[in-house]
Formats: sequence, structure tokens, C-alpha cells
Amino acid sequence: MTESGVSPLPREARPYQGQRAGLVTRGVAAAIDGLVVGLALLIGYAAWAVLLFLVDPLNFSFPDVSLIFSMAAAFLVLVVYLTLAWWLSGRSYGCLVMGLRVVNYRGARLGLVSALARAVFCAIVPIGLVWVAVSRGNRSLQDMVLRTSVIYDWQPQGASKSAPPGA
Amino acid sequence: MRQRISPVDVVVGTTWRVVRAAARTAHTAGSVLEPVTQVLLHPPIVPMQLQPAGWLAAVARDGADQRASLREELARRLDVLVPVVLAEVLQRAHLTDLVLEYVDLDRVVGAVDLDAAAARLDVESVVGRVDLDAVARRIDVDAVAARIDLDKVVRRVDVDAIVDRVDAEAVVGKVDLDSIVSRVDLDAAARRLDIDSVLDRLDLTSVVLERVDLEVLVQAVLDRIDLIKLAEEVIDGVDLPEIIRESTGSMASDTVRGVRMQGIVADEAVGRAVDRLLLRRGRRATQAPADNQDDRPAESTFPTQRDRRG
Repeated sequence: MTESGVSPLPREARPYQGQRAGLVTRGVAAAIDGLVVGLALLIGYAAWAVLLFLVDPLNFSFPDVSLIFSMAAAFLVLVVYLTLAWWLSGRSYGCLVMGLRVVNYRGARLGLVSALARAVFCAIVPIGLVWVAVSRGNRSLQDMVLRTSVIYDWQPQGASKSAPPGA
Repeated sequence: MRQRISPVDVVVGTTWRVVRAAARTAHTAGSVLEPVTQVLLHPPIVPMQLQPAGWLAAVARDGADQRASLREELARRLDVLVPVVLAEVLQRAHLTDLVLEYVDLDRVVGAVDLDAAAARLDVESVVGRVDLDAVARRIDVDAVAARIDLDKVVRRVDVDAIVDRVDAEAVVGKVDLDSIVSRVDLDAAARRLDIDSVLDRLDLTSVVLERVDLEVLVQAVLDRIDLIKLAEEVIDGVDLPEIIRESTGSMASDTVRGVRMQGIVADEAVGRAVDRLLLRRGRRATQAPADNQDDRPAESTFPTQRDRRG
């Protein structure tokens, strides 16, 4: 279908494809990603608890996790999750739901280093997303520094694309 | 002012007075002397044969005879002389000019009974003596034609009667139609044709069905058409993806689509609001760079409706 030139996209969405997304869509995607990370942490915590229970059922108690450790774990999970998602498919789950894709200054998918750098930057300064509303080009702080873009791309086949050459 | 005296006038006037006086005198004398003359001519005593009147009567008869013979002689001489003189005169006098100047031709013509004259004409013999070819050669046909009111003439012609009398078959048999047709400007004639009215009278459908090899025609048409491109345009026109989505789509995909569209609308609303707060004018430049390789953004791989139409 794609090669023949017939677009499966809804007619009203076609003009927006390839445009940089605005604050609301990206905010919703980021919130979904946050939920995903939180869910992953919960699952990890539950798995850790189950493992402890299996090891020593008599002395079992829920593990006490410090705030520092929790934040470090959350940071790590978030960075890994975003890096892998942007590197392999160009989109995280939040981006998938909202029809977004992260591309570099050439419009191509991010390399591993770029994806890692952007993930770290987003994890450290999440408030940089707000700059999208102010920027005339709908760019966040991370986008401006790393010369990336988050575009509307509702095409579902994009998620099954092969990995980019040479990260 | 002294009047000039002409000698000729004097002579004429004098002669006229003498003659008149003599005539009066003679008249008076005749009136007075008539009784005397009668007596002298018819003396009472003299016998009739010897009377002077008888002698005078004989002299008068001789005089009359002489006069008659003289008149005849004069007529003979005049018959000879007049034609000669007249010919000489006419040679020197321009008779046409004289006639035109002194004769009232209109009056003369008005007095002529032309009908009677025409009735006496033998037209057949006149026509037979005319060299029509020579006459025709001397006629300026163009000038004549220019002066003819053809419309008026044609209106008076009974075309039907003429056509009835024409043997069309014989006429057509004499015409070399090939040479005529070769001289006709068919292009000009075709330009004046009302093609629509001709087509209205033709049953084109039956003509095509009978005369046209439809299979060859259809094959030729198909060879010229890019069916794939045509199918794409048709699918694009009927929005096939939309139909498929409507027929097979789930509630979830519709929800996702709605959320995404609302997100786009909200993005634009936020952008406009911020631009208004910052007193910006014009639209945002949100077009991202396009990836020309396989590894793509949407713009190059998924052309929009406008792109494909453009």
C-alpha cells in the first residue's frame, strides 16, 4: 500500500504528517512514558519481593527501598527505555499512542549515541519540554541542543522498520 | 444723337413707297375703269367672234399652256439639281447639331404612334439579320451586370416551374462531377457544416456497434492507460482506507485516532495562544527536515493528499 502511493492515513491527519508536534501531544506522550516507567519499576519491585520471598520465606518482608535508590532506578529505567525505543523504532510507547516519532536533523532515526544523549537530557531536565510552547519551531530544549525533532507520524508500519545502520 | 442712315434702307423704303403708290393707283384705276374695260372688251355692236375679250382669252390659254410646260421643265431640272445642291449643303452643314438645336425631339417622339410602328415590325426578320455574336463581343457584360437588380429579378422568377421543366437526369449526365469536385474547397465547406445537427440525425450507437471492432478499440485504449495510476487515483478519490477503517475498525483505533486529532488541535491552540501572548505574527515553522533515504520521516514516504494532487 505504501509503495503504491495510496495513504492509509485519515484524510484530516495527512496535512500534519511530518510537522513538529506541539506541547499537548508531546506532554501526553511523556505522561504515558512516565506511567510505563512507573509500571516497570513496580513490576521490578514486585519481582524483587517475590525473589526474596522464594529465597527466605520465613524471614520475608517487603524490601525497604530508599528514595535515592528509587530515583536512581527510575532514572536508569527511563534512560534505558527511551534510548532503546528511540534508537530501535524512533518512538516510545507514549509516542506510539500519540502518533509521534523522534528524528534527527536529517529527518532520519536517531543513532544510539544520539538516542542515549537525548534520553539522559530528557531524564535530567524534563521541564525542557515546556519550551515547545514558546519555540516558533515547536522545539523543546533537548531538540534545540541536540538538533532533533518530534514529528507527527501516524504511519504504523514505521515501528517495524529495521534498525538504523551503525549507531 | 445723330442717326446713321443706311443707303440700302433708303433704297428699299423708296421702292416700297413707289410700289405701294402704284398698287393703290392701279387698284383705284381698276375700280374706276372697270366699266370702261368691260365696254372695251365687250363692245355692244361688235360680233362675239371679233370682240377683244375673245382674243384675250385665247392669249390667256396659250399662256397657261406655256406655264404648265415651264413648270414641268422646271421640275425636271430641279430633280437633277436639288440632290446635288443638297448633298453639297449637307456636307458643309452639321445636320445633327442643327436638328438637336432647332428640333423639339420630345415633341416629335410624342407624336409618333410607336405601338402601331411596332405592330408593323417583322421582328423575326430583324433578328435574323442581326450578327448577335458581334453584338455580344461589344457588350460590357460586367457593367450590365452591375446595373441589374438581381434580387428583384430573382423574386419574379417562378423557380418551381423552371425546375419542373428541367430534365435533371440529362443535366447530371452531361456534367463532369469529378472535375467539379476536384475544384471544390472541401475544407471551407466543412467549416460551414453544422456538425451537431448532422450528429443529431445519426444513430451513432448503432453505427459504432456495427462498424467498430470494439475489442481492438478497447485494447488500444487500455494500452494507453496507466491502470495502476488510475486505480490509485480512484482509491484516493473514494478514500478506501476510510472505508476499510469504517468496515473493520475497532473502537480502540477510533479512540486512538480521536485522541491524536484532539492532541493536534490542542497543540495548535496552545501554539496560537502563546504566539498571541508574545505578540507574534505569522504561522509557526513546524516543518521538520525530510529524510530522503529509506530511513525516513513521514513526509517523503507518505505523501499527503495535496502533494499527490500537486
